[in-house]
Amino acid sequence: MKKILSLVLALSMMLSLCSFAMAEEQITLRFSWWGGDARHEATLKVIEQFEALYPNVTIEAEYGGNDGYHDKLATNLASGTAADIVQIDPEVFPTYVANGDYFYNLDEYEIDMSVFDEAYIHQRINGYYDGKQLGLPTGIAGPAFLINKDVADKVGVDLSGEITWEGLLEMGKAAHEADPEVYLLCANKEYLVNLIVFNIVKQQAGSTVFVDGKLVATEEHFTTAYEYVKALFDNNVVAPIEYMAAYQGDAVQSDANWLAGKYVGTMTYISTVDVMVAGNPNASYYPANLPVYEGATEGGWASNTPQVLTIPKSCKHPEMAAAFLNYFYANETAMETLGAVRSVPPQAKAREICAANGSLTKVVSDSANIAAAIGGTPNDKISSTNESKNILFDAVELVAYGEMTPAEAAADTIDQLKELEV
Amino acid sequence: MMRSAPGVRTRHYTKRDYQAFLYLLPWLIGILVLQLYPFIASLVYSFHDYVIGGKMEFNGLENYIRLWTRDRNFWKSLRITLVFGVYTVPFKLILALAVAMFLNRNIKGINLIRTLYYIPSLFGGSVAIAILWRLMFMDGGLVNTLLQTLGLPTQHFLGSKQWALKVISLLEVWQFGSSMVMFLAALKNVPASLYEAADIDGAGWWSKFFKITVPQISPIIFFTLINQTIQQLQNFTSPSVITNGGPMKNTYVLGLFLYEEGFGNFKMGYASAISWLQFLVILALTLIIFGTSKLWVHYADE
Repeated sequence: MKKILSLVLALSMMLSLCSFAMAEEQITLRFSWWGGDARHEATLKVIEQFEALYPNVTIEAEYGGNDGYHDKLATNLASGTAADIVQIDPEVFPTYVANGDYFYNLDEYEIDMSVFDEAYIHQRINGYYDGKQLGLPTGIAGPAFLINKDVADKVGVDLSGEITWEGLLEMGKAAHEADPEVYLLCANKEYLVNLIVFNIVKQQAGSTVFVDGKLVATEEHFTTAYEYVKALFDNNVVAPIEYMAAYQGDAVQSDANWLAGKYVGTMTYISTVDVMVAGNPNASYYPANLPVYEGATEGGWASNTPQVLTIPKSCKHPEMAAAFLNYFYANETAMETLGAVRSVPPQAKAREICAANGSLTKVVSDSANIAAAIGGTPNDKISSTNESKNILFDAVELVAYGEMTPAEAAADTIDQLKELEV
Repeated sequence: MMRSAPGVRTRHYTKRDYQAFLYLLPWLIGILVLQLYPFIASLVYSFHDYVIGGKMEFNGLENYIRLWTRDRNFWKSLRITLVFGVYTVPFKLILALAVAMFLNRNIKGINLIRTLYYIPSLFGGSVAIAILWRLMFMDGGLVNTLLQTLGLPTQHFLGSKQWALKVISLLEVWQFGSSMVMFLAALKNVPASLYEAADIDGAGWWSKFFKITVPQISPIIFFTLINQTIQQLQNFTSPSVITNGGPMKNTYVLGLFLYEEGFGNFKMGYASAISWLQFLVILALTLIIFGTSKLWVHYADE
């Protein structure tokens, strides 16, 4: 007992000496983020862990819901009163970057960037602006190609390797021939547009559909995309459009054929993978690669982070804020504590940890690995509006029903999209 | 309290008289806030370029001109809406009248039967029943399974442009209960003496129906016709839930079109213009029906 007591005394003396020695370097940082309770709890724990490692640093947490967060942030940035570490919505971030020199280049600080996939953090949407890493992504949200292995094996198709658009058609044909009740892809017109048409057009055009408010994708690009859609229907790679009429939008999740295991796979989103798996939980699944045209300069398959973390220039101790970010992103204890509270983590190591402790399923974690590696620019502001998507939904429907040829539909699409130019 | 002589207008209201407004307040607030304000606001919006969250910019008749001349969805949607009206209103009325005549008799348990027939109307406009309809008519749904069992060819009811609108109309026709109740009440008011006199003269069933029943209940037919026309031309729920306007916009009624523009594309000004055109179409049709009423509506006290 005496031994323990003396040990505690000695320790506390040492600590007080330390703090005395570092008294002058006492640093207080503010970290602001929005989120739900799980995120708050995990983040606060990571702050505690960091403070234990750096006793001279205190991190004040400023957290709450998303409401009004960015309105307040805009004024704070302008007046130099923003927190020292700030979570920002990547869709809003470009406006801040454009309006002033508000953020430190994180490449200039000691943050272990090797934990990230380079292609992923070097995307503008994930915080990379004009060669400067102004923000770091907190997660991955993006496309996934989920395969029901049992069905794939049954009809004798293998999607585990590299996949081309043409190869997909061939496999679809083969699958339906092997079993006339089976289709390769579970997809309605919304999914066809969002995951196939947009990506074909972007890969062909080498850019998003609109650039700086002007339409850059051409009639040819859309013709190629619509011809592909037509081929999907003609070759029974997807279920007939008449059948899919009962499953609009996100209702693919309840497609009776999916539940009954009559599809080889579905192009979907990482966030939806678990839902699709739950629809037919007894099958085994793996994520397939996403097809890209050879030589395409734009991958199309955009995955991006739901938030970025930044250090505004108003921060007096950027090296210490960077040390915190380094702990936040690169420390395995931190990875374990944070789990998937900011969606699927962008670091492969963190995904591994999450998959091991069950906060991420393996198929989700593998899907994120594929999405992070492939890269692509997210849709521009105009083509992600409801209005332009509706134009493409209608076109795909008309092509699928054979009311328009792909070329006619493409010409019509271009006519209508032109009206949306700004 | 002083009472003024009948016919003399009181100049001053007492405090107690003003209390009336207190009791009227719920209704007053209701009509001002929920009816009059949106009515006027939408008219004002319809002359503006107004995107939710953006600035309101006056653009005169631009919204209307665009709808009239450049928006292909408008004409398609208007046509679909009118066809939908033609599919639903007459059949709903005929079915309601037929069932009302069947129920207009004194047999055991008639009240229960009447209730059963009325039940579908209680679900009127509900999302749940529309979802049920979708499940019934989809490929592999109840209806197709039945057809298959009977050895009949199955149909893509929701995915074919020949069927989709008819399937939705059927849901509307099925909800004939409220019209039926009106007809039933009207039938009970037709004097039995008229039928007796006709029987004595040896009139047949059809001539009794057309020469006595229809003229006698024509005011109710007229009322129901107007009511149903207005209701059906404003329909939104069933096409939205069952087909979401598809396939290829073949069930894209005006209600859906205006919802899409307003709450999908956030173009409130444009959506308001659509709603005003919709209002004018309904108004015109109602006036036409009113105009013809002199020819066929018979009032006993005239």
